[in-house]
Amino acid sequence: MELFDNLLLGLSTALQLNNLIYCLIGVVIGTAIGVLPGIGPIPTVALLLPFTFGLEPASALIMLAGIFYGAQYGGSTTAILVNVPGETSSVVTCLDGHEMAKQGRAGPALAIAAISSFFAGTVATVVIAVLSLPLAALALRFTAVEYFSLLVLGLFAAVILAHGSVAKSLAMVFLGLLIGTVGIDVNSGIARMTFGVPALADGLDFVPVAMGMFGLAEIIANLERPEVRQVVSQKLRDLIPSRADLKAAFPAMVRGTFIGSALGVLPGGGAALPPFTAYALEKKLAKDPSRFGKGAIEGVAGPEAANNAGAQTSFIPLLTLGIPANALMALMIGALMMQGIQPGPQVMTEQPALVWGVIASMWTGNLMLLIINLPLVGLWVSMLKIPYRLLFPAIVLFCCIGTYGISNSAFNVWLMLGCAVVGYFFIKVGVEPAPLLLGLVLGPQLEENFRRAMQLSDGDPSVFLTRPISAVLLGVVAVMLLAMLSPAVLKTRKEALAE
Amino acid sequence: MSLRLFKVAATALALAALAPSLASAQQFDRPVRIVVPFAPGGTSDILARLIAPKLSEAVGQPVVVENKPGAAGNIGADAVAKAKPDGHTLLLMDIGSLAVAPSLFPDLTYNVENDLAPVGMVMFGPYVLAVNPSVPAKNVAELVAYAKANPGKLAVANSGVGALNHITAVALARDLGIEWKNVPYKGGAAASRAVVSDESNVIINGATATLPFVTNKQLVGIAVTGEERLAALPDVETFKQAKLPLNDAGTWQGLLTTGKTPPDVVAKLNAELNKILALPEIQAKVAEQGGAVRPGTPEAVKAWLTTNIKSWGDIVRAADIKTN
Repeated sequence: MELFDNLLLGLSTALQLNNLIYCLIGVVIGTAIGVLPGIGPIPTVALLLPFTFGLEPASALIMLAGIFYGAQYGGSTTAILVNVPGETSSVVTCLDGHEMAKQGRAGPALAIAAISSFFAGTVATVVIAVLSLPLAALALRFTAVEYFSLLVLGLFAAVILAHGSVAKSLAMVFLGLLIGTVGIDVNSGIARMTFGVPALADGLDFVPVAMGMFGLAEIIANLERPEVRQVVSQKLRDLIPSRADLKAAFPAMVRGTFIGSALGVLPGGGAALPPFTAYALEKKLAKDPSRFGKGAIEGVAGPEAANNAGAQTSFIPLLTLGIPANALMALMIGALMMQGIQPGPQVMTEQPALVWGVIASMWTGNLMLLIINLPLVGLWVSMLKIPYRLLFPAIVLFCCIGTYGISNSAFNVWLMLGCAVVGYFFIKVGVEPAPLLLGLVLGPQLEENFRRAMQLSDGDPSVFLTRPISAVLLGVVAVMLLAMLSPAVLKTRKEALAE
Repeated sequence: MSLRLFKVAATALALAALAPSLASAQQFDRPVRIVVPFAPGGTSDILARLIAPKLSEAVGQPVVVENKPGAAGNIGADAVAKAKPDGHTLLLMDIGSLAVAPSLFPDLTYNVENDLAPVGMVMFGPYVLAVNPSVPAKNVAELVAYAKANPGKLAVANSGVGALNHITAVALARDLGIEWKNVPYKGGAAASRAVVSDESNVIINGATATLPFVTNKQLVGIAVTGEERLAALPDVETFKQAKLPLNDAGTWQGLLTTGKTPPDVVAKLNAELNKILALPEIQAKVAEQGGAVRPGTPEAVKAWLTTNIKSWGDIVRAADIKTN
């Protein structure tokens, strides 16, 4: 019954008029910055931090949290419509979401993204309420050894993820791993492949690389084609997903939600793992995997649900342990400290109204987002009617502003423009950039955790098999590997590719 | 927001055109920037955002906080070192990193002592040395005895190669004759998590980050740096009482500006900074960051830097900590 009391306490905080208003402000700002490519929640929250000084702690956190999960909603809009992933988490949405848009089905894609996000947000709120304490305990069981095994699993998913030749996607994963080694090595402090350029010391930032390779490269490729557009239907019936769409998307939504909820809790996992894993799983489970990358609705629903669930459950380590799961949660810690609250495990017992208020506000916020987003679908879709000569410069401009804002450095803008050229080359030779991005994100963590595990075990590799969680994860990798190499699967894969 | 920024920028341009570089102590003729060379949300960032509005009132110009993270603070520090020396570009950071930088990064693109001019110290926050409860030690003597009996077994988490808590751990091992592993993490938060989860066993980190875990019994407090014991941990002895080295290790947040800024401008900034640090509301906010304000003179900061560039540099060189 304690759970019921807690939720009631939370709702009584979240439903106060001023908190509802701050929640609304948060999700509206979040949606807006999510839609604008490149302008992510981190600089926005940083910019708004000083304004939260004067607010009640609960109001401040409710608003900042709203910006974060609101951005997950908005980010998918740009990914689907113009193939520009505004956030790490929406890279996967580009794959099938943008394909759907190209086929004139932008409306259903946007609607499914919003519905999946709402579904995942609602379930994740319950997950946080019921499971935050056991999940936090589980997250603490994850040491370098378990992280390494989890990341191996993630990289295997990357190969499955790609459509097209295995050799090409493996090459892209390795290229991603390689450029992931640029920068100061955490374990030894040695700068690698920086050529003495200080801006390279922290490695290549993911966002400019992703925006350049996906969004801008796509724009360059579009410029050489005559402007032929899919007729964008404005009939309401074509904007809402059909019953068949919903039926296809629902199981993917459920699976995505659970994957996202579980992976979001792990500190350091980052925004990339949940949607990539969900996508790989959907593709594995699909009767006809060849539809993926060509506008499969499950390929939108699963990852969208996963990234929203992950965004919310990443609050668990913060609220229960005082440990930030990602850079944005570190900012939230800053916000708490500005309010005079010492983040830590005691917050939950000392400030129950705050913690449960924020949890309950996630549900009210998700409801607001659904109400805001569904009617807007028509508006967003009509954005596709804007002629390229106006749309493209605007996208490039926003991308430049957004990448500059990451660390107030022009270097990232040049990096993005360089990656645009590289990405255009990739389109020309017919390779997918998604595995490269996963390699870039996961590679440095893989190396860091592997070497740390080795350092702590005095170089004994058997730790990966003697620790139970790690052994199970590696077992899953082994099963996947066997399944992939089994003649039956090889045959179907060949057939699928032959189409 | 962007419109406001635009207006600020436009005003700045107009003013700059009208009054070409007549910056004197009394005249701040364009917006002042406080560069924080780390991502938003950390101690330096919070302090800068606390000070900015007060400084703005004092100099009659907007004061903008600008985060320029990267390369262990060197990108932001370099930007300030190369700015126009008129006191309009300030740097707020943990100056412990500045003191270590010359020995850690041989090809540093600026000279810490010549290209930066100290304005004043802002705060000092002590370190807490703590262990995971799995380590059978409740105080310094027990920890040292355990470390001596089990050489190489303990793993000390630090927030990055060459960070001050890494150097402190190296100095402790050297002076106490013990052997432990130094395990680097990406920042203090990741290091704390690792010690709470018993991936590593020992941590030396800022009081704000560590105290909640100690009071919650997920970590055991062993010793604290600084002049006196912490009110929150009355039973935990200081480094000095336990005769440990580097009893002044911790977070030293300082405000600096570009080198060769006219002394009267520095003096004016220092006077305003110390006035701000005397405000009770600021002192209360700084206490929440796990430290206390440290008003002082620019000369004191300069002397502090000179001393520590040498003494910490010696430890870095003796332990052969390298970055390239």
